Amino acid sequence: MSYGLEGQRALAEVLFNSIGDGAVTTDEFGRITRINPTAIEILGYTEEETIGMWFPKLFIAYDEDGRAIPLIDRPITRSFVAGSIISERVHYKTKDGNLVPMAITVSPIMVKDQPVGCIEIFRDITKEYEIDKMKSDFISLASHQLRTPLSAIKTYSHMLIDGFMGPINRSQLKALKTIISASNRMNETISTLLNITRIESGSVAVAKKPVTITDLVDEIAAEYKLASIDKDIKLKIIKPKNKIKIISDAVVLKEIIGNLVSNAIKYTNSGGTVTIETKSKGTQVIVSVADTGVGIPENSKDSVFTKFFRAENVVKQETSGTGLGLFLAKGLIKELGGEVWFDSEENKGSTFYVSLPMLPQIIKSKAVNK
Amino acid sequence: MANILIVEDDKDLNAAYKVILESEKHKVKVAFNGQEALNILKDYTPDLILLDLLMPIMGGLELLEKYELKDHSKVKVLIFTNMENSPEVTKAYNLGATRCIIKSWTAPQNLSKVVNDTLKANNGQLSLN
Repeated sequence: MSYGLEGQRALAEVLFNSIGDGAVTTDEFGRITRINPTAIEILGYTEEETIGMWFPKLFIAYDEDGRAIPLIDRPITRSFVAGSIISERVHYKTKDGNLVPMAITVSPIMVKDQPVGCIEIFRDITKEYEIDKMKSDFISLASHQLRTPLSAIKTYSHMLIDGFMGPINRSQLKALKTIISASNRMNETISTLLNITRIESGSVAVAKKPVTITDLVDEIAAEYKLASIDKDIKLKIIKPKNKIKIISDAVVLKEIIGNLVSNAIKYTNSGGTVTIETKSKGTQVIVSVADTGVGIPENSKDSVFTKFFRAENVVKQETSGTGLGLFLAKGLIKELGGEVWFDSEENKGSTFYVSLPMLPQIIKSKAVNK
Repeated sequence: MANILIVEDDKDLNAAYKVILESEKHKVKVAFNGQEALNILKDYTPDLILLDLLMPIMGGLELLEKYELKDHSKVKVLIFTNMENSPEVTKAYNLGATRCIIKSWTAPQNLSKVVNDTLKANNGQLSLN
């Protein structure tokens, strides 16, 4: 069956109006050009009230605390500037003032590689949101309840060591250090398990703020300095002269990069080198962690980011590990809109890379403002 | 030396923090929930509140909402919680908390250091007694 140009247009209109989720298109300035009946139903506006309006002004995206997301950070702006598809959860205010959680996907409309507008598809996820909140609340509570006794164990062990309750002898000191070391291991396990539960339930709390990634890498390196000295491993940092700032979550990033550095030290023999390099490449900042360690065997490379993965060559060694660190890193980096990958050669070493979107300066000049 | 209010429901931890901070010559008052802290804060302005989040009667977030830090800009709030990477921590920052530390990762000597660093983060406005 063939259609003429008019027929094609009519069909496109019917298809657009038949989409079961809310759908809105904009021109290159962010002005609404089309809105389908589902979007009208969800948001409560009439078609006349929306067509020609500036999308970011009419449909302000809010975070879950009801704060307006700055224009520069909104999915529609980022999608238009980066020319990429962005799927996220935000809140939109309906005409009657209710904040409704939405799962949105915004895609740039490209003509000859140039963005000429955007299409945003959104769905009311109030029910899913409530379930997720319950899960998240449970995880927070479990985390708190598991850790409180550990805090007391660690605090009082340290106080004994520090002489708050009087002098102790050498064997008592050794016993207390063992208690602290075991508490730390349990703490790490709780952290890892909770983070995995969060990733799998989609309830990772990401609080994006400006982060000076070069400073953050310095902080991480400082935390692992002692571990590298203990193993006689040289810890090198390579970074550009200028600081690099990104919009991300420093706590989550620290967890990801810290995991890579911890692995690099763990799987590198004494006398080796671990190099952490930060550089910008186009619209991305790339942090790499290179080691001169045992490397990953060819037949294990496909499984590196799977849960409980431990390569055969490291299982034979005495190094401890849950096999969850890289699975966790992969899950967390996704939440930050980044990627993680690696190069490795057995007995020569591995390099793990983390890429994160940089805040391009262009975004300020291109952000629609009409 | 600074004036510090510890708000922590776990009696063992509350006592431990008091001993540690007093050993650093800080003047310490303690509360075991947000309501007790609010009562103390009616006629006492500390330099720093060491605040747990999850507590009975009134939690740390509710305390921050009621105390309104914007009216007490010189008071530093150090959140000391075990709710790692959680929405509650984000909310605490939004309510004006200065810093957030995970309890079970923090050794006593680090507690003193974190408290002192947080106090210094006061841009020179810290009132030393």
